[in-house]
Amino acid sequence: MAPVKVPSGHFSILYFAAASSFTGKSSEHIAAPLRAGSLFEELEKKYPGMEAKVLASCAVTVNLDYIEIDGGNAPDLDLVIQEGDEVAIIPPVSSG
Amino acid sequence: MTTVSVVESLRQQIATCETQLGYLRQQLAEAEHLQQQRRLRGEESVRRTTDYDPLAHDMSYGLSDDFRSEIFAALSHAEEEQQEQSVQRWPLDRTEYKRYGRQLIMPEIGLQGQLRLKNASVLIVGVGGLGCPAAAYLVGAGVGTVGLVDGDVVEESNLHRQILHSTPRIGMTKVDSARVALNSLNPNVRLISHPTRLSPESAIATFQPYDLVLDCTDTPASRYLISDTCVLLGKPLVSASALRTDGQLMVLNNPPRAKGDGSGGPCYRCVFPKPPPPESVVSCGDGGILGPVVGVMGVLQALEAIKVITAEQPGVNGNSVRPTPADSPSLLIFSAYANPMFRSIRLRARKPKCAACSTQASVTPDALNSGSLDYVQFCGSINPVNTLSANERISVDNYAKIRMEVNPFTGMEPSRDSHILVDVREKVQFDLCSLDGSINIPFSTVSSVLTKEASEVESKWASELRSHSDKPIFVLCRLGNDSQLTVKRMKELGLDNGGQRWIGDIKGGLRAWRENVDNDFPEY
Repeated sequence: MAPVKVPSGHFSILYFAAASSFTGKSSEHIAAPLRAGSLFEELEKKYPGMEAKVLASCAVTVNLDYIEIDGGNAPDLDLVIQEGDEVAIIPPVSSG
Repeated sequence: MTTVSVVESLRQQIATCETQLGYLRQQLAEAEHLQQQRRLRGEESVRRTTDYDPLAHDMSYGLSDDFRSEIFAALSHAEEEQQEQSVQRWPLDRTEYKRYGRQLIMPEIGLQGQLRLKNASVLIVGVGGLGCPAAAYLVGAGVGTVGLVDGDVVEESNLHRQILHSTPRIGMTKVDSARVALNSLNPNVRLISHPTRLSPESAIATFQPYDLVLDCTDTPASRYLISDTCVLLGKPLVSASALRTDGQLMVLNNPPRAKGDGSGGPCYRCVFPKPPPPESVVSCGDGGILGPVVGVMGVLQALEAIKVITAEQPGVNGNSVRPTPADSPSLLIFSAYANPMFRSIRLRARKPKCAACSTQASVTPDALNSGSLDYVQFCGSINPVNTLSANERISVDNYAKIRMEVNPFTGMEPSRDSHILVDVREKVQFDLCSLDGSINIPFSTVSSVLTKEASEVESKWASELRSHSDKPIFVLCRLGNDSQLTVKRMKELGLDNGGQRWIGDIKGGLRAWRENVDNDFPEY
């Protein structure tokens, strides 16, 4: 997951823990701009089943800031993920 | 239980008791040594005050020597008083200055910080991979009281990461084992045992006497329960977790303000309102864990706890010399094989509709105490997979006969070529140990989603199996769950030729194989 240059017109997305196991990747690039409210839909298209099995319980961040995009009136649905942004999908880890 | 295992178990118990006895003898010797040293110091100081000293005589304003001795003797007649005097003279005991000297001289701690640590009580829930290092550093740092909650006993597979436990203490409760190690590390700390699993009914009473709680547990249900209890009782919570190569750390409910007070720190539910689906929850036993990964998270918990305890309370004039923990709450993500290894996420304030810490909270003390909050149900649970019918399954004993004996119906010599044995454990596990003649098709490959790349991989293994369409397929895994799901999947893909070919699973997997057929097969 070495920091690589994001190709123009894309943002980078990091997958942690269960999200990494599900996608088989630790990171990738997705076309920007993208409305935050459409992020899960976009990922579900790429990885069928991911929304229910992983994303629903995840924390999501944009440039290391926690955002809320779960539920119809979540405050950050209309936030736009821009070119060069870093998005992270962080499932709760509960073991110890 | 066989005679062999009874003998083995007795031997182990004797070894455990002998070790305990050894520790007790060692502690007694140390305590006696300490006592003797104190006595010697006491006698020495009494002697110093009573010995004839010509200079002292000159300095004593002509008071008679006898009278002077009498007064000094009265002032220092007992060893205990001598001790009390020195305690009163300095805020810390002399041994404490020495023991904590390296942290005392740091501006972040100092005398006030050390006294705060000494007066603090911390509850550590879970004395495993996180709890062991966390407890070691907090006890080492001189936290006055440390409570330990755990209902498990020490197992051999714990020892690569649970650093307070040791080989001779296998079978001892984790709480007792940790006490032995912690007491030998720092006998000045009061340790309190709670050798049971935390339950909603016991949580409030257990947490009540403590100032701060560390969540070192390993299930989603306990994480919500601990966070809720801390919110209800107004206690800060240091929560950490680890699996495989990943870890997470948060300081929650800090500061612990009243429900609905937006200036209070967020709780676990604010960050993760929905538990992960139960089938996605992987334990360290199933998913694996690297010792230093969980170790670093436990050490960081101790660090955050020390920061919270020693934080300068906002002074009257508002100026504080000591650095205070960062005001904004954060989630620290550790990923051992990523670069950078650490990422710190800025969290939001409390959620206005949080089920625990908002004014609309449904989590109440009554609900908790009465047991009406069902955390296991909230987080969901998975029953052992049982999806196949009896004629799609075979016991390990019967499968062993197929492998090893002459077929009673056909009189055929056993042959590995007569069937296909598919082991669906992941490759890394298959490489550890496997049955002769088995082929490895990892469950992740069998169950992978149908993306373009995946379907090519899938068709490869499926077509391989199709090419031997006459041979029955036996599916095997570690515990007997994935094997059933694989049988279903194979039939969905039509590998059974519409019922022409038998496909079934070996019940109970390699665990049953080890227990019933081959005791030598490694357990991991």
